Amino acid sequence: MARPHLRHFASVRWGLVGSALLLSLIGLATVHSATTELSVNVLPRQLLWIGVGLVVLLIAFSLDYHAVLDFSLILYGLGIASLVLVLFFGERVGGARSWIGIGSFGGQPAEFMKPAAALLLARYLATVERRYLSAIQVAAAGIIVVLPVLLVALQPDYGSAAMFLPILMATLLIAGVRWRTLAAFAPVVILLLTAVFFFGLHDYQRQRILTFASPGSDQLGAGYQVHQSKIAVGSGELLGRGYMQGTQSQLRFLPARHTDFVFAVLAEEWGFVGVLAVLGLYAFYFANGARVAMRARDRAGVLVVIGLLSLSGFHVLYNTAMVVGMLPITGIPLPFLSYGGSFTLVNFLATGLILGVDLRRHVNR
Amino acid sequence: MNVREHLDDLLRRVRLLLGLFYLLLVVIASGFWFVQIAQGTYYRELAENNRLRKRPIRAPRGLIWDRNGRLLVENIPSYGLLVDRSRSADIAASLAFAATVLQRPTTELAATLERSRNQPAFKPVPLAGDLTLADVARFQVENLEHPEFEIAVRHLRLYRHGNQTAHALGYLGEVSEAELADGNQHFSAGDLVGRKGIEHTYDTQLRGTDGERVVVVDSRGKPLDERDQRPAQPGASLKVSIDLDLQQTAQRLIGDRVGVVLALEPKSGEILALVSSPSYNPNLFARRMGSRQWRDLIADPNHPLHNRAVQSGYSPGSVFKMVLATAGLTEHVIDESDRVFCRGADRLYNRRFRCWKSAGHGWVNLRGALKYSCDIYFYHLGQKLGIDRIADYARRFGLGRTTGVDLGGEKSGLVPDPNWSRRVRKQPWYPGETISVAIGQGPLVTTPIQIAAMVAGFANGGWLPTPHLVLDSGASPTKATIGPQAIGVDPKTLEVVREALWAVVNEVGGTGQNAFLPQVQIAGKTGTVQVVTQKTWTKNKDLPLELRDHAWFVSFAPADDPELVIVVFLEHGGAGSEAAAPVAKGLYEHYFRTRRFSEVALGG
Repeated sequence: MARPHLRHFASVRWGLVGSALLLSLIGLATVHSATTELSVNVLPRQLLWIGVGLVVLLIAFSLDYHAVLDFSLILYGLGIASLVLVLFFGERVGGARSWIGIGSFGGQPAEFMKPAAALLLARYLATVERRYLSAIQVAAAGIIVVLPVLLVALQPDYGSAAMFLPILMATLLIAGVRWRTLAAFAPVVILLLTAVFFFGLHDYQRQRILTFASPGSDQLGAGYQVHQSKIAVGSGELLGRGYMQGTQSQLRFLPARHTDFVFAVLAEEWGFVGVLAVLGLYAFYFANGARVAMRARDRAGVLVVIGLLSLSGFHVLYNTAMVVGMLPITGIPLPFLSYGGSFTLVNFLATGLILGVDLRRHVNR
Repeated sequence: MNVREHLDDLLRRVRLLLGLFYLLLVVIASGFWFVQIAQGTYYRELAENNRLRKRPIRAPRGLIWDRNGRLLVENIPSYGLLVDRSRSADIAASLAFAATVLQRPTTELAATLERSRNQPAFKPVPLAGDLTLADVARFQVENLEHPEFEIAVRHLRLYRHGNQTAHALGYLGEVSEAELADGNQHFSAGDLVGRKGIEHTYDTQLRGTDGERVVVVDSRGKPLDERDQRPAQPGASLKVSIDLDLQQTAQRLIGDRVGVVLALEPKSGEILALVSSPSYNPNLFARRMGSRQWRDLIADPNHPLHNRAVQSGYSPGSVFKMVLATAGLTEHVIDESDRVFCRGADRLYNRRFRCWKSAGHGWVNLRGALKYSCDIYFYHLGQKLGIDRIADYARRFGLGRTTGVDLGGEKSGLVPDPNWSRRVRKQPWYPGETISVAIGQGPLVTTPIQIAAMVAGFANGGWLPTPHLVLDSGASPTKATIGPQAIGVDPKTLEVVREALWAVVNEVGGTGQNAFLPQVQIAGKTGTVQVVTQKTWTKNKDLPLELRDHAWFVSFAPADDPELVIVVFLEHGGAGSEAAAPVAKGLYEHYFRTRRFSEVALGG
């Protein structure tokens, strides 16, 4: 088995690491601009997370992904256990019981559950030796994902819960599934979503969805955030208002400026040019990731990479679309750019695992 | 074999998925193009001109009333001048204009502006405070010429009686960086929070909750339209136990002397007067205090900001003999008729201990010893009791721990014993120290509020009340208070001590005769604390001020059914009998005159 060695550095996919690091630096600069009004300096903390993230990346890189997959059931089990724990002993952050930890150090189990679910899914689907999955196999894969979704939804954090579904969809698609098999599950899904909207949502969450349907109806509550975010993004125009010069960000019109709405700050201060540059960087990151999937040695390698990529990819799509007002507001951070410990670590972990798959692409070496 | 074929299938689908991702990115990018380029001008204009602004609605802070419904603290509006530098064509000209209107030097305004150097140019920053209504009108008239100026209204705390109530009520200060960083409290920069006294202890209740409104403002920052509003919830008003008349009389009686006057009800623990002298003017804190005024306050050798009633520890002196007498009787070490011969000095543990009266008191029993405050009697009693039992009784009367009064920064004082000596002082306990502690000297340290609670315990017949200032506050106070505590002494024993204290004031030769009033029976105990050990009896008047004795007078009245406890402490005030007792007498005179008057008026 290939183990990391100096000669392997030549074959590291530097495009993936480089774009991740560049995005993190852009994130640091934007977070700095977004937090000048805050009395606490969050930069050292985020810098620390990136540093720890790099260490995690190196460790993940050095592990053989087959060994990681063998271990994935235990990871998944631990993840489920911590999600149950957080329901009872977690601290509330913005209405959801999602945070667990001692003192100011801790994390959100939901974030770590995401890659764990992706890994177990890859492990299960890698063993299938058929061209198309059977309905029972689709159902089994579905259960792997639905279990954590339900637990996260209980916190209640529907945004985070929804982020598991793209992993399922992407890996099923790659593993091979017939449309009619999927269609058979459609009534169940539709029934479930309707039930959640009417019985499972809090008023403010229903409000957010309704506000999305008719913006401007609630300027102080849910509508306020969308409206302010759009003003921030729009007023950036082509070239932006200049670093640290955005009135929307600096005058505190914008909510969650350094976390979920960090991209609105970037759009305001760097304009459409800045938006395109960052979206381009993301495209580059995912193109590199997809390249790893396409050269992977075996089915397991492909599925691991796709599961992890679909996770962060959907975060990118949802967050940017939400900031520009194309999707309802929910607490979804932007990979590498948003401030936050757990999510930063998970993104570096995923990058490390993908690099590891790439390193071990040659069958008989 | 077909595994490879399947893998090729997989790769085709990966390409498909990547294509889908690209497609969605392009859709999102076109969304940004639509908002930033197609509608960019519109949104830029929204951001620039018709901005929605969230404006806080400040919750008015709760008022504070005295026990008779007289207003002690209120809120008055104050106008501040802000400048938006981005709207000024020539900032020097703007400053010059403001300086002419306000008749203040341009340099002063420039210096204030310099402090906000790091703020973005479009953010209005403070330029001056305390504008008169005429100034405000002038800036509004000139709004077209000088759109860069804005007027901000805020509410200032006005303490109606200034330094007379300062130590009880406290003052407000701007929230600190550390408090802003604390996630449990929802402060924003510039908020005012209680810093001392009632304002501090009951800050949460007094503060209320700020509201918020969303207003549409034009490019001049003038509100055009109000969109939505969440009203402010005003802070709760508080009624305090202070009796303003009594408080002012106490302040007047102590004058410019340094010390404490405390008056409280022995049964309820309600504090009617709390004076710590010197005091300060809390209204100075409401406005931005000049650095010289602040330096003067801090540099004052008498520390006016220090609340001596709760934050300073002193030896109790002869006042402590009340505790010793109770201990002696309860432990059956002495009985009421036991006598000791005082010849002015005595040898104990091979050291000479002097009585304050060099000629001696002759034969004295317990009553006489308290009445004349004979030291020799209590030296012997102290020796018989031993330090451990003395310390036990001191603690029973609440010494050595905080009383739980609803004022911040309370000190716990110190009740010394051999254990403490070994642990903290790292040296053995000397038997001679027991003799010093027996007359309230030595390492024993008490605060005036502890002494007041202790005297209340004697007066009410056996339990320690928790002294407090706020009546019916509704919600629980910020600081947890302690409930009344039983002392655990036979009421008959306390009766014996109370009778002797009556003699102190009302019989010929008693040390407290200067407090005698014909219309009401006062009981009391004097205390004179030596600041330096004297080899000879020097007259206090001949000593420099900082070496003179501290004077105590503790008391309650009427002696048979006490309604009021008064504790007077004068730092370097001289003898308790001469300096402190007359202050208490004056206060009782006032209290019972008004009390009798209202009883007559009510009874018809």
